Amino acid sequence: MPSAVDAVQLRGIGKRFPGVIANQDVDVTIRSGTVHALIGENGAGKSTLMKILYGVQRPDDGTITIEGKGVVLKSPTEAIEAGVGMVFQHFMLADNLTVLENMVLGAEKLHGIGDGARTEIRRISDRFGFDLDPDVLVEKLGVAARQRLEIAKVLYRGARIIILDEPTAVLVPQEVEALFVNLRELTAAGNSVLFISHKLDEVLDIADDITVMRRGTTVGTADPRTATKHELAELMVGSELPSPETAESTVTETVELSLQDITLTDEFGRDLLSGLSLNIRRGEVLGIAGVEGNGQSELVETIMGMRIPTSGRIMLGDQDVTHWHTRQLREAGIGYVPEDRHRHGLLLEAPLWENRILGHQTKAPSVKGPWINRKGARQDTERIVRDYDVRAPGIDTPVRALSGGNQQKLIVGREMSGDPVLLIASHPTRGVDVGAQAAIWGHIKHARRAGLAVLLVSADLDELIGLSDTIQVILRGRFVGTFDPAQVTPQDLGAAMTGGEAA
Amino acid sequence: MSTTTTTTPRKRGVVERLSKSWLYIGLIGIGLVSFVRIVTDTDDLTAAGTIRAAIIATCPILAAALGGLWAERAGVVNIGLEGQMILGTWGAAFFTYHYGPWVGIAGAALLGLVGGLLHAVATVTFGVDHIVSGVAINLIGAGTATYLAEAIFPEYEGGGPRQLNGLEAPTQITIPGVSDLANTIADKHWFFVSDIASFIQALTTNISTLSLLVFALVVVSAVVLWRTSFGLRLRSCGENPQAAETLGVNVYFYKYVAVLISGALAGIGGGFLALVASSGFSTGQTGGRGYIGLAAMIFGNWRPGGLLAGALTFGYTDSLRLRDTQSVHSLLLLVALGLLAFAALRAYRRQVRGAVAVTIAGLAVLAWFLSTDSVPREFTVMTPYVTTLFVLALGAQRLRMPAADGETYRKGSAG
Ligand SMILES: Nc1ncnc2c1ncn2[C@@H]1O[C@H](COP(=O)(O)OP(=O)(O)OP(=O)(O)O)[C@@H](O)[C@H]1O
Ligand SMILES: [Mg+2]
Repeated sequence: MPSAVDAVQLRGIGKRFPGVIANQDVDVTIRSGTVHALIGENGAGKSTLMKILYGVQRPDDGTITIEGKGVVLKSPTEAIEAGVGMVFQHFMLADNLTVLENMVLGAEKLHGIGDGARTEIRRISDRFGFDLDPDVLVEKLGVAARQRLEIAKVLYRGARIIILDEPTAVLVPQEVEALFVNLRELTAAGNSVLFISHKLDEVLDIADDITVMRRGTTVGTADPRTATKHELAELMVGSELPSPETAESTVTETVELSLQDITLTDEFGRDLLSGLSLNIRRGEVLGIAGVEGNGQSELVETIMGMRIPTSGRIMLGDQDVTHWHTRQLREAGIGYVPEDRHRHGLLLEAPLWENRILGHQTKAPSVKGPWINRKGARQDTERIVRDYDVRAPGIDTPVRALSGGNQQKLIVGREMSGDPVLLIASHPTRGVDVGAQAAIWGHIKHARRAGLAVLLVSADLDELIGLSDTIQVILRGRFVGTFDPAQVTPQDLGAAMTGGEAA
Repeated sequence: MSTTTTTTPRKRGVVERLSKSWLYIGLIGIGLVSFVRIVTDTDDLTAAGTIRAAIIATCPILAAALGGLWAERAGVVNIGLEGQMILGTWGAAFFTYHYGPWVGIAGAALLGLVGGLLHAVATVTFGVDHIVSGVAINLIGAGTATYLAEAIFPEYEGGGPRQLNGLEAPTQITIPGVSDLANTIADKHWFFVSDIASFIQALTTNISTLSLLVFALVVVSAVVLWRTSFGLRLRSCGENPQAAETLGVNVYFYKYVAVLISGALAGIGGGFLALVASSGFSTGQTGGRGYIGLAAMIFGNWRPGGLLAGALTFGYTDSLRLRDTQSVHSLLLLVALGLLAFAALRAYRRQVRGAVAVTIAGLAVLAWFLSTDSVPREFTVMTPYVTTLFVLALGAQRLRMPAADGETYRKGSAG
């Protein structure tokens, strides 16, 4: 029920970082009791604006009005007091603490830190279908479970104004739908939601209002009842909406990666992966569909040598690589886009060009003999920045200062360089805008024509269907169905992923 | 949604869980020691005197280790423990001389706290590298204590430029009936029973209240750090300060508190050295115990139970070495048996490679024990270090330090 007083008014917000204007003259009004979507290309300044509203960063100019009262937010504590809650684009969780500890931290007064809190977490978890066990270490959770925990954290605190910065990037459609049902309930109860996403279908589905940002400023609004995806894409990036459709098959006969009866057992003797077999040929993209937490991460980590399978064999070309170390695998030409770019894959405090060397520290152009080849690495970083449109002030900027989508582009660019023979990609376009997504798809298709084999794990069913030559559905550590992307619909896939029906 | 989790409600708390497993390990340990005592006929191994000496040797290390725990759990590496301890020895001497031992302890804590404050200002406020600041504090601590001693103590009764003797010690407690009974049983040299009796005898005869305080602080620390919201916030600053900040935790505040407490605990350890472990202050008295405490804390896996085990092992072997060189030889058998027991545990858990390696190590030590009559003198000096390293390295399967330990944190870097 939109009430008379607006939940949030941001007026003339400006924020400058060295070499970048992140926000300038930003005006956004969030009506009370609505879902307000904020969209815009990578680096447009969305996250910066949200951090300002949450008190993490101080604006250089402008005013913030929350529920009719002008406020100056010096820290998240003050924002929390004003009723704001935020899910950050990158997880804000302590790995070595339990779900419960992460949940109650800072809000211990609400339900204590013991059984009271445990009961409340179970209640939230059951109500929203989050399936959170309060006493598990966060380190054991996969990306989707972490994402659900992050959302639960905000719900636990009972914030009236909820900021969600790309909460759905790794969730599958069913999970997104469940989340949206909750958001509608929350707004019906008078709360307001600020929602950021690059998935325009979702935006049109959930939003009551849409604000578009470009180059640090608000460039317009759209009405979700009348706007189309194409119009939104135009407004955001000024270009056409891409489609991931592959043209003709480039699959060859040579098997590049072969898994034979791979089983992985955890410390309690439970099977995480049971008897998985697959073949990826040169020029083939194999898509893995599944609700996160069903073995995708384990599968990827097993192939990458980060876990050793309990039984079974992994062949790369005609070599048995089951017991190879990650570095050997990478030297053999495997590229790897990890599911969580902050946990794996990046050194946030290091500059772009040093991050370019990571994982390629034994190969040209990163090194020359035993020495790091500064010049070569820097030049190649310049190339990645150009080819993948990584928006950064320069290659000496620390990666932390890049927007989330630009960090992702840097990783993809790095992993595609040096002509890999096999690419293991988990959510490769997580958090990148529609334009950049098209570019990444283009790069993958191009490399595929040249013989690259790809294992693609993604929560984005359109991406899976559009890029893959074959799709395998994984459920509880088993492959439960094989689909031909030319025939399958997202609905069929969705059903198979939850065990509805296997083909 | 996710299908791999099971929901077994686990409610047992940390303290409860720890105390239980440590009780078993303790009992098995005593059994082993008792066996070795009888086989090798070295009664000194569990004589009440040895245990009393062990407790005294343990306490300063334990206090330092606890200090390390507090700081590192909040993400600050405090290598300045040694310096803060030195300041503590001086503080204890000065304040005890004037106001008696309890004010003396408070004074020791206060001086340690000043050292902690220095470290906190440098590392938290100014973002100085933790090691650099810690080393500086060690130098400053040693220098300051030496200077202050030279400037003040020569005028005191029993004092000189490098020492201050004849300080009043904190109260000692004896529980009359229990103490005598335990003494009688201990003298019988029965298997296990007499060893326990020795233990009780040492704990009930002339035990310093300060020792009891230090042991109590371990429990208090465990409860505060793991059972209160204050402790949760403090630990969150060591695991992920950015995340803590986004949840409204004032990270700087908790880091400051942690480092101040850390310094105070190290100071108390220093005070113990001056008042209980010896009868007065002397310069250079700490002899690297701050570092040993830090090591016990690290190998104790940043946990109260672990650092207690580390400090006790060190204290015990150290006192044994000082009492009787023969018993160091018996210690070899103890180490051998311990290794073999550990290998059995590994084998039971089907960690084949580990089991084989540890068995070989155990057999090697056993062979050494059987083929010699004594341990070379040079080696006895290293015994406590080597044994502690052994015990803790084997005990801690996988060390896990706080994720953001030693990192400089800046407000506003979240997201
Ligand atoms: N801490 C920082 N230091 C320097 N520059 C920064 C910092 N944070 C953000 N920026 C810059 O501000 C701009 C806006 O970044 P922001 O993260 O707000 O983008 P975004 O709209 O959230 O993009 P994305 O969709 O990729 O998440 C970018 O150019 C980024 O490089
Ligand atoms: Mg962002």
